[in-house]
Amino acid sequence: MTIATASPPLERLKNALAEIADLKHAESILDWDSRVSMPHAGALARAYATATISRLSHERFVSDEIGELLDELGPFEREAGEDSADRALIRVTRREWERARRVPPELTGEMTHAGNVAVAAWDEAKAASDFKSFMPHLERMLELKQRYIACFPPTDTPYDVALDDYEEGMTTAQVTEIFERLKPELIQLIDRHRAEPADDAAFRGPFPLRGQHEVGRRVLEAFGFDEREWRIDETPHPFASKPGSGDIRLTTHTEDSDLTALFSTMHEFGHGIYEYSVDPSFARTPLGAGASSAIHESQSRTWENLVGRSAGFWRWFYPQVQAIFPDALGAVDEQAFVRSVNAIRPGLIRGDADEVTYGLHIILRFELEAWNAAMKEYLGVDVPDDAHGVLQDMHWSIGLIGYFPTYQLGNVVSVQIWERARADLGDPEEQFARGDFAPLREWLREHVYRHGSKYPPRELLRRVTGSDLDPEPYLAYLHAKFE
Amino acid sequence: MTDPKLDRLKTLVGEVDDLRKASTILFWDQRVMMPPGGAQARAEASATVGRLAHEKFVAPEIGELLDGLNEADYEYDSFEASLIRVTRRDYEKAMRVPPELTGEMRRSSALALSAWGPAKQNSDFQSLLPHLERNLDLRHRYVECFPKPDETYDVLLDDYEPLMKTAEVREIFDELKRELVPLIQEIGDAGEVDSSFLRGEFDREQQREFALKVVRRFGYTDDEWRLDQTAHPFMTSPGEGDIRLTTNFRPNDLSSIFASMHEFGHGVYEWGVDASLRRTPLGSGVSLAVHESQSRSWENLVGRSRAFWRFFYPQLQQTFPAQLGSVDDEAFYRAVNKVHPSLIRIDADEVTYNLHIILRFELEQELIDSRLEPRDLPQAWNERMDEYLGIDVPDDARGVLQDMHWAGGSLGYFPTYSLGNVISVQIWARLQEDLGDIDEQMERGEFGEIREWLRTHLYVLGRKFTPQETIERVTGSRIDPGPYVRYLREKLAPQPA
Repeated sequence: MTIATASPPLERLKNALAEIADLKHAESILDWDSRVSMPHAGALARAYATATISRLSHERFVSDEIGELLDELGPFEREAGEDSADRALIRVTRREWERARRVPPELTGEMTHAGNVAVAAWDEAKAASDFKSFMPHLERMLELKQRYIACFPPTDTPYDVALDDYEEGMTTAQVTEIFERLKPELIQLIDRHRAEPADDAAFRGPFPLRGQHEVGRRVLEAFGFDEREWRIDETPHPFASKPGSGDIRLTTHTEDSDLTALFSTMHEFGHGIYEYSVDPSFARTPLGAGASSAIHESQSRTWENLVGRSAGFWRWFYPQVQAIFPDALGAVDEQAFVRSVNAIRPGLIRGDADEVTYGLHIILRFELEAWNAAMKEYLGVDVPDDAHGVLQDMHWSIGLIGYFPTYQLGNVVSVQIWERARADLGDPEEQFARGDFAPLREWLREHVYRHGSKYPPRELLRRVTGSDLDPEPYLAYLHAKFE
Repeated sequence: MTDPKLDRLKTLVGEVDDLRKASTILFWDQRVMMPPGGAQARAEASATVGRLAHEKFVAPEIGELLDGLNEADYEYDSFEASLIRVTRRDYEKAMRVPPELTGEMRRSSALALSAWGPAKQNSDFQSLLPHLERNLDLRHRYVECFPKPDETYDVLLDDYEPLMKTAEVREIFDELKRELVPLIQEIGDAGEVDSSFLRGEFDREQQREFALKVVRRFGYTDDEWRLDQTAHPFMTSPGEGDIRLTTNFRPNDLSSIFASMHEFGHGVYEWGVDASLRRTPLGSGVSLAVHESQSRSWENLVGRSRAFWRFFYPQLQQTFPAQLGSVDDEAFYRAVNKVHPSLIRIDADEVTYNLHIILRFELEQELIDSRLEPRDLPQAWNERMDEYLGIDVPDDARGVLQDMHWAGGSLGYFPTYSLGNVISVQIWARLQEDLGDIDEQMERGEFGEIREWLRTHLYVLGRKFTPQETIERVTGSRIDPGPYVRYLREKLAPQPA
């Protein structure tokens, strides 16, 4: 009965959200195209088109009409069953609508514009390793972020607001606690390995591009990539996107010096399979995407690290890779290769970091403090210039402040979920050794992926693992693997 | 001092243009990049973006601005007068169509296009039929939005060839039929030209490289253009400085070279539109027929000329020595200009091509006038192919299913192809008067002067004037099949012994 009376406003809400999803679909294609296929000279016209589409979808979303529909749906939301997808839809829409309404459109516009300007300046500054030229842009982005934060009710620390954009319900205090627990352990692990000579078989090419594309394709197909619904392309900065259902796009960046692209491909597959497996009935609604940045990252890291750097995986795959690269790998045995893809190797660049040092790259960004000093303390690496230091990531230039911690939280979450999967599936490495990844993929679909954004990230985590965010399984995994 | 109302109008039509560019990218992506599984979501997204573009354009504010603006306050040739004039015409037309209908037509077309690929592949007309019926039904509803025309087909034609009437087209086509049917007969009687060497194995990557070599000579640069593979070639321009050609590199013939030149002609027209007209309704080619005149100019008047091949043939021979090593340039020239009735429009020669079009023009009129049911299309098609070209159609894949137009909901589009042929020769005659011996330039592989003449006389105008005005400004006369017929005779009629 409730549903019958509530359905007209619910239908109207869903229709409005579907239109907005369609605009986001177009925006996603415009963005993908500009990175993959657009001729260089098309950039200016594209900037206009993208700005118009994104302004329209924003205007439609923050409209009074959506607010009125949400008001009308209040009683329905309170009465609907706890597990109702419609209720989740209203909750998620309300949360996003209320957040969006707090920010004046002029500020949103300024942030977009300043971000466009700053990312171009970052590009140049990075090329010239010239932090000074980037500084005014960074200051501007920080100032805008502060104005953005001031639109929200006061929190324990202003950073809470920034964090909440990417990781609903997470606070600075909680992140600090987790990172403080990780930091000494990670530093110890690194120190203990510092004396060992690094195995670097996977990083001593050349690995011809054609062979790497073949290797990437075989892995993706074994994981569940299907040309009818997926594609993969080359871009300077790898990413994954889902313009719409049945259309999953990965990109990778292949260089013949090493096999980094293979891991980045598995990483992006993790993002892609999450989006791919969301319940089809959530399509064209705000529920139709992953639950949060950290949960998303947990899945990219699962497929990249927990699967792609495991001994079982390489038992299946190494003979094939060796056959494809006889020159580089003919004389390297499987164990040496697996050691090399799991070597702890303190380095300058976050994007190239191994499983252990990666966490410290994130923690130091989180702390936003004394950059050069922190790098030396955590990793024992001198930063030769800002291009290899503070300028290496584009995030801050486009105003992504509060985003970095979700990478490391993703690592933590990945092992929590992994432990549950292992409890249900037995030793997945035996399956990997046979090239069989379907049981793991299907388990993840059933327990994590299909829910999309139906549950807030921490509730999803509790449903899957029975506990809140907890660094212990991750630490236990690292100790078991690296000691 | 500009009128603030005019500035506001420019802002609003600029946004509409942005949305149309987004639609263009969605279309291009669907044909070139999208995994097939994305079709349903894409149909929905395209429908929404298309509908929003329409809604934004028919917004009351634009109507009020147009009411407050008068094109007569500005010089007829000025940007301002053209913008008001053209926007007003587009607006009055668009206002007649409810956005729901526009959305439905887009949605239906997108789904039908997805069905067309497999239907053609399997020669399965029945699987496409419901889509065609739906498209036709929507077209009927579309026609009803307009005042009663002399002929129903006028409304459809006007979308592609503004202000052109069915009766005018019929008159031009009747003359073409009258002249070309006997010409085809004469050529046939003179004996068959050997073109056997145009079939064989031609590596697709080498075809692509050769096609790029040609269009680069014409003016293609990597900074502003791209060329991709699709089943059916097309050109789109999703924005200034972004011209996209597609072609079908078929493994067994060299048609991709001509298709690439054809699409280049469309592309260079868009490329050459004056920068000041961008992001306004004036910023594209003026009509499909004038557009086609340019694709046919670069494909046929340039690309099937002796002078062109005198430059390129040695390079083509080098690319494909096994297939062409023993074929001399005159034999090759005659082969690529061979007139011979055949099944497929896009493979047709310069002469028979027009009969493929006339057939479609007639069937379309019968469909929209309900004199022909969509389910009877294959039979009607096959009968007329026999009547006009003396050809037996072996299956629907090579018959009624060969083109995507009807699946895409484009009725009234086909005649613009032949009108383009007619116009191309009218413009070319003027260009020759100005430039003198262009053969000599083409023989040296130089096309810059030709391109610049076309750009400065035609391309820059965009949509500032009506198609008829544009043709008259460039050629000094109305659309006239005479020069085209004379060109075909001179080039292709058998020489008396």
